[in-house]
Amino acid sequence: MSDRSAKAHTSVTDRVRALGPRRIAALAGCLLLLAPPLYLSSFWLQTGLFAMVAVIAAIGLNLLVGTAGQLSLGHAFFLAVGAYGYTWLADDTHRSGTADLSGLGLPPLLAFVAAVLLAGVAGAAFSPLSGRLRGMYLGVATLALIFFGHHAMLNAESYTGGFNGRTVPEMEILGLSLGDADDGLAVLGVPFGGLERLWYFGLVLVAVAALAARNLLKGRPGRALGALRDSEVAAAVMGVPAARYRAAAFTVSSMYAGAAGALLALAAQRVVPDYFSLLLSMDMLAMIVIGGLGSVAGAAAGAVFVSVLPQLLAHYSDALPLVVSAGSAEPGLGSADAARFLYGAALVLTLVFAPGGLVSLRGGRAARALRGLPRPRRPAPTLPSTSPQPSAGATTGGDTLKEHTP
Amino acid sequence: MNRRKFLAAAAAATSLAVVLAGCSTKGGESAATTDKSGIKTGPGITKDKISVGVLTDLSGPVAPLGKSALQAEQLYLKQVNVAGGVCGRTIELVVRDHGLDVQKAVAAYAEIEPQIAALGQLSGSAQTAALLDGIEKDKLQSIQIGASGTVLGKPHLRLMASTYDIDMVNGVGFLVKAAKLKKGDKVGHVYVEGEYGGNAAEGAEFAAKKAGLTLVAQTVKPTDKDLTAQVTALRAAGVKAIVFSGVPAQTASLVGVAAATGLKVPVLASAPAYVPQLLATPAKPALEKMLYVASPWPALSVDTPSVKKLVDDYTKAYPKDPVNQAAQAGNAAGSLLVGTLKAACEAKDLSRDGISKALRSLTAYAEGFHEPQNFSDPAKASSTKTYIAQPAAGVPGGMKQIQDATEDPWLAEYLAAHGG
Amino acid sequence: MNTLAQTLFNGMALGSVYALVALGFCLVFKASGAVNFAHGSLLLLGGYLVAVLHEPLGFAGALAVAAAGTAAAAAVEALVLRRVARANGPAVPTILTIGVDILLLTELARRIGGDVLGTGDPWGAEVLTIGGVTVAQARFYSLLAAALLVGAFLAAFRWTGWGLSMRAYSSDAEAAALMGVRGDRLRMSAWLLAGALAAVAAVFLAAFPGTGIDRTTGQIALAAFPAAVLGGLGSVGGALLGSVVVGMAEALATGYQQQLSGLGSGLAEVVPYAVMVLILIVRPQGLLGAKESTRV
Repeated sequence: MSDRSAKAHTSVTDRVRALGPRRIAALAGCLLLLAPPLYLSSFWLQTGLFAMVAVIAAIGLNLLVGTAGQLSLGHAFFLAVGAYGYTWLADDTHRSGTADLSGLGLPPLLAFVAAVLLAGVAGAAFSPLSGRLRGMYLGVATLALIFFGHHAMLNAESYTGGFNGRTVPEMEILGLSLGDADDGLAVLGVPFGGLERLWYFGLVLVAVAALAARNLLKGRPGRALGALRDSEVAAAVMGVPAARYRAAAFTVSSMYAGAAGALLALAAQRVVPDYFSLLLSMDMLAMIVIGGLGSVAGAAAGAVFVSVLPQLLAHYSDALPLVVSAGSAEPGLGSADAARFLYGAALVLTLVFAPGGLVSLRGGRAARALRGLPRPRRPAPTLPSTSPQPSAGATTGGDTLKEHTP
Repeated sequence: MNRRKFLAAAAAATSLAVVLAGCSTKGGESAATTDKSGIKTGPGITKDKISVGVLTDLSGPVAPLGKSALQAEQLYLKQVNVAGGVCGRTIELVVRDHGLDVQKAVAAYAEIEPQIAALGQLSGSAQTAALLDGIEKDKLQSIQIGASGTVLGKPHLRLMASTYDIDMVNGVGFLVKAAKLKKGDKVGHVYVEGEYGGNAAEGAEFAAKKAGLTLVAQTVKPTDKDLTAQVTALRAAGVKAIVFSGVPAQTASLVGVAAATGLKVPVLASAPAYVPQLLATPAKPALEKMLYVASPWPALSVDTPSVKKLVDDYTKAYPKDPVNQAAQAGNAAGSLLVGTLKAACEAKDLSRDGISKALRSLTAYAEGFHEPQNFSDPAKASSTKTYIAQPAAGVPGGMKQIQDATEDPWLAEYLAAHGG
Repeated sequence: MNTLAQTLFNGMALGSVYALVALGFCLVFKASGAVNFAHGSLLLLGGYLVAVLHEPLGFAGALAVAAAGTAAAAAVEALVLRRVARANGPAVPTILTIGVDILLLTELARRIGGDVLGTGDPWGAEVLTIGGVTVAQARFYSLLAAALLVGAFLAAFRWTGWGLSMRAYSSDAEAAALMGVRGDRLRMSAWLLAGALAAVAAVFLAAFPGTGIDRTTGQIALAAFPAAVLGGLGSVGGALLGSVVVGMAEALATGYQQQLSGLGSGLAEVVPYAVMVLILIVRPQGLLGAKESTRV
């Protein structure tokens, strides 16, 4: 039967065979991602952009938590560095209301890159702690960043605008504004405003972030970090300098957060300190766990789940049982509470029943079926380890990762 | 295998087709049109309905206040709709809950903005700050619940009644008389970090300087519950009175500790620092004796017909929920919205611009406010008068009025200095 | 001088409440190797139970039930935690506690709403004056109670069979198991104790000059985290020392904020973390934390 359908479509299937079905599916997915600006309202575009922010940040955090086994609750701080960094670097010094705001007035694209680097510098500056502290100690120490950051955002008014924040200058690439410019740009009859244009900018960023993370994980750094996570001593014996790798992982991860923060600033058009709370850090941890620790695709899936779920529930609360819409007089569970219950439960259930996260569920039957292969046995650890059950994920680096990446 | 490849190829082809076909239903902005009776309309206006947005906290930390304000506005609009609505149309609220989450507020705004004619209620200072640019870009007239003077001056963001700083200038004026403060006296100044506290502090500092008082400043963070350290410092400084802008739990702690440690001085608090539930804490006797609240709204226990009507109607409609200041603000927001839409209807212009203009044409609007309000200048508070009340058990709103709406002589100078 | 004495006492009183919370962190970390992010919500649960039950049961009865209830909730959390595969790294159990925290806090916040709940404690708004220093009665008792509870705990830790097993287990779980120490029971006992302590802490937090239980009461845990860490996670003495250090630092930053205004306003919130970071830079394992010996 499969032969017949193949013969009927020889010209297509020849090329398809060269690509392989997984890539085709990925390609189709990518193409579909190009469509939303043509169809969706600004609400969904805004939600989608916030989801992209979450995806980038989660991929970065996953490098740290999933691969290096280091806990960070301070990543909201690095998002703030990226967001405020971009705004300060790209904006001109000017007076807004009663506040004098400073700025460097760099070209936006340059400011974006510089903001990412700035977040990296901030991450590197934390290396006396991030290199030396392990696991839980680092987790609590990074909490400090949230509090320091909040203090700075409120007090350094000439940079941040204080409590009310400041307006984010529009992105501009090669003369094309990515804001709501009145240049009459329309694609296929759909007028393209700021959100529509930013959508594609966000997509490019996500793609770059995902590819870079994938290469990093496949290569020497990924294997070294995984080895560190599973056994520091064993890794050291194999010639991995622990402190340097840990600090480097922290720095790279904070650069991801910086890029996410700068995109967040662009999508929100105004940055205020309240975005960057401990809650954001916790949400990001939830994302990578729900999606699947140590996997790029997992981080992305988890990020989309956690950031889109509350909006879906709020939007369709009228149609859902048990959930009541905002402002309705009926008793019932508000959609915001419902979303928090759902994602709290998802977090707990994932860890208990599917420690591999969303991707492991898909990666199980579906992926096996797609390839028509039996699921490979868990490879034996390549390094001696004291942990009771060495994970497959990172110890063997490349091999198992392929399974998780589309 | 091949079949799967075929399916994958088909999926790819379909998605390509979908992207390229561009048979999108997403059109451009609905341009302003004119209806049969010659009224110019805009987004959110149909032939029998006016849609108005509400963006507030119904699930986060201040959800009970958000709920009170929303219910009061719903109640007011229901009465208007039953009486025939405005411009032959009923007013319908499109409510979204942001739970004091900035990101949710931004997304919810993007969702409802295209379908509403105005934003009838916007609450949360950080959320408002995040939307400042969007509101101006969309020229969406918005009514903010909350009274921080720092957001004044945005053409489409309307604050109601007096702001925190104005209340503090007037309040300190009252305190000087009530506590017989003299030049050179020390006054404690405790305020919470952030928008509200900072704005109130501006007013307090100005008034103190004018009266020749020395302020002993102490900041607290919103999550502080125990103000013993602050009271200790104030007692050591020998203050004769305290000016306070914080959250309710802190008010009870501040006043309670001060009373217990023998610092029996009058405490003047901003309106958000008091809720009737505080009378259930051990600090009740001290609160009743020492606390004064400077508020933009009259106490709910006053014997004025309009206040009585609100209390009665609200209690009847929502017997389980106590009527409070948030309900007053919600009621006023409803009234202001209706007044604006009526004026816009008379001018035959229900477009967004028309609504903004109509709001600015209200120069002495009193319904729901008790004192005539002037909404003509977005850079100025609509009222410069403040009510002073004291906690009292067993009356609506938990407060009895001490002084009717009053403007302090120094206020004009303060406003001139901060008018920019 | 008087101000200094008063400020120091405030610091001690604050530190004593932190100690009850930080001890809970410490116990849980010893037992399960996780930092319990749900601890703040457990504390809130304890406070909420006392607030709801004090009318029918009286304060003492409500406190007993609340302590038991909170301990039970902690035990449930421990059971869930046991099922977690640690294969994905040491951070996983800790992340799980974040999930538990989200669930517990969402439900409690929904129930409490914007209310401020009284706990019906017997101390009221009374104050004591000792040597020119005025203290709220409840603060005095919280210091006393913390000292008693912590003393009892230390004694038990040092001299009872349970304490011996606990020490053996946390220094070498495998060897302890071979010697007949029952790890599961031991872990559970640590969680139960941590939960009960949280309920006690909630009552003292709510008592005057605090103003009852509201939805943010659990945030005290955020200040107790650095206390537990700077002392050295898993070290009981360290948790106590850390609590006093953080309490003192916070009280001093608040009491002398006018002199410190150059550092920006709202410093007290940052101080616990600043102290912690400084200490961790010098001693990554905390003040009294044992340097991890590594076996291959």
